[in-house]
Amino acid sequence: MSDCSYCKSKILTDEASCPLCGQPFTEQDLMREGRKNPYPKISLRYDRQKVFKNLMLLTIGISGLFLLIEVLWLHQLHGLQLATFGLLSLWTVVYIIISKRRNIAKSVTYLFVIFSLITIYLDYVTGWEGWSMTYAIPIISIFSILAMYLAVKIVHLEVGDYVMYLIISSILGLMPALFLVFKWVKDPALILISIGFSLLMFLVVLFFHGGDILHEWKKRMQI
Amino acid sequence: MERKGWVRLDHASNIFLAARNSRDTKVFRLTAELEDEVDPVLLQRALDKTYAQYLLYHSVLRRGFFWYYLEMSDLKPQVAPELLPPCAPIYHFDHKELLFRVIYRADRIHFEIFHVLADGTGALWFFEDLIKEYIFLRYPESFCDMKKQEREWKDQQTADSFSHYFRPQRAQNFTESAYSAFRSVISTSKKAGKLALRLGKKTSNYVFTDHLPTEKKRKVYQVKGKKTPDNRMRVVEMSLPTKQVLALAREQKTSVMIYLIALFFESIRKASPDFQETGTVSVSVPVNLRQFYPSNSARNFFLTTRLEYTYGKEMDNVTNICQKLSEQLQYQLRPELVDEKMNKQLAFEYNFPGRLIFRPLKDMILKFVNLWNNQNLTIAISNMGRVDMPEAIGGRIQQLVLLTSAVRPQFCMISSGEKMTICFTSPFIDTTIQKEFARQLTKQGVVLEVAANQVTAAELEE
Repeated sequence: MSDCSYCKSKILTDEASCPLCGQPFTEQDLMREGRKNPYPKISLRYDRQKVFKNLMLLTIGISGLFLLIEVLWLHQLHGLQLATFGLLSLWTVVYIIISKRRNIAKSVTYLFVIFSLITIYLDYVTGWEGWSMTYAIPIISIFSILAMYLAVKIVHLEVGDYVMYLIISSILGLMPALFLVFKWVKDPALILISIGFSLLMFLVVLFFHGGDILHEWKKRMQI
Repeated sequence: MERKGWVRLDHASNIFLAARNSRDTKVFRLTAELEDEVDPVLLQRALDKTYAQYLLYHSVLRRGFFWYYLEMSDLKPQVAPELLPPCAPIYHFDHKELLFRVIYRADRIHFEIFHVLADGTGALWFFEDLIKEYIFLRYPESFCDMKKQEREWKDQQTADSFSHYFRPQRAQNFTESAYSAFRSVISTSKKAGKLALRLGKKTSNYVFTDHLPTEKKRKVYQVKGKKTPDNRMRVVEMSLPTKQVLALAREQKTSVMIYLIALFFESIRKASPDFQETGTVSVSVPVNLRQFYPSNSARNFFLTTRLEYTYGKEMDNVTNICQKLSEQLQYQLRPELVDEKMNKQLAFEYNFPGRLIFRPLKDMILKFVNLWNNQNLTIAISNMGRVDMPEAIGGRIQQLVLLTSAVRPQFCMISSGEKMTICFTSPFIDTTIQKEFARQLTKQGVVLEVAANQVTAAELEE
């Protein structure tokens, strides 16, 4: 405890100056016995300015890398289009993984949707050959549902916490049926497997956890 | 498997969720400073016992499609040493965690709570019981030779009978204790036929003003400054003898709270170089509704009043500011105006037109409402008043402290025994306003003890 002769207050501190006015304590004021500062020194968790600077540098670095890959590997230059798309995808995935890290099922559902959209866009900008709908999306769908099921079992997530996401993913997994209806794909094999798998999962979840789904539905959809 | 109880979150608490961000965490802290170093083992025992009696505190917050809801959990709280800055975030999306924490350091026990769960008065009930329980365990000898009357009081406390009357929270089931205070009041009042609350009206029909009828709206001064690097708050704690500040308030013929608000206004004027001679400063003051409508709910149950003062109209001194603020507060606390506000709140609870709005959108709307409200505020204060405890307990408590996360400079005041604590919190690094406040008090002979936390890399390196 010290005395600040400017603020005329007793200051609970071990420092050499007053936290209010910043004036250094005189010899007489310093190091007097008494109460200590009740507020511990807790290190900074981050520094907003530094974080912002580093993220900007990283973004610029990755953009450069994208352009380099386009020139050296793909032997073409789409300009900033692919680089911007890549960066957007990168930060979206980082954001999803971080913000949904506490619920694996939700995280997988979000990633399933974002990856599907990414592949459709990539297919579109590279000539719209339909590979996204024929192969990519059905594969992503099957493995998302499988991954979610395994993950929630491994970490022992409570039924109520994942059952809705499992249902949503199963329903999303049925969406490729539309690709068949509109005849957007030539080879329907993978889509049929994906639809069959989603349907199976949907029925299994409904059969074993129908009550939980109803309970969650009532809770979450209350108006 | 037994399914857990859940209760939809009320609107009054929803605003805290919408307005919450990494800087303004909507967490507040109650602290008790004791005589000796805190014993974590005993504190854990005291917490276990208190926790078992308050079901509301078993809640975790979940998100639905249209609403948030509180859900009963099986989690057990653990006391922990103080390793985070004051009022660090408690609620994280998707994380099932209790909405409070009990931490300790040296001779202090801190209870931090997310405002969505309870307001200051509600939280104080839990905190008082926790501290009492801890003191019973820590100093059993004090209760051996205490007077008969006090021993009976202690027995009543432990037998849970006395407090049942005042704190039915303990006896209720989870759903009842988590129920909105506003709704519980209306259901009991309806039965008793005491309140003629007009629930049929749409919220938009309510037109009323916070201000004296002659007042015109003016642009309100906003404090600016460099914010802390990691969003922690600057805390400046001031302890002073209650008697001294009471005497100063009496000299001004006003209450301690109004007197301290006047000093806060003056501090802002003196500390801000860009403050104009005709500037308007305003303060938000929460008022406990339990004094108007009897309620034993620990959930949020307060209304906010807004007081303001415009400089340059007459003699700008503390006496005049106190007088103007007192008039405004009296006006806003007239029973008919409180009823009107209560009606508005209830209509909002019952007839909210946006029920079918998707929750994230609702959050966004409330966020804008909150930002708009913030435009009209310079500072905020919170007054917990005096906390009285029996000598055997109170004698062990050196002082109580209340502080809250803040989006603008703010202070919280609480007193116990002979000591009052005024704790400033602010998102800004600068402490000039707090310095001016302290100097105004010490100039009049108040003995002030000041403590502050460290917020910048330079301060932490010293």
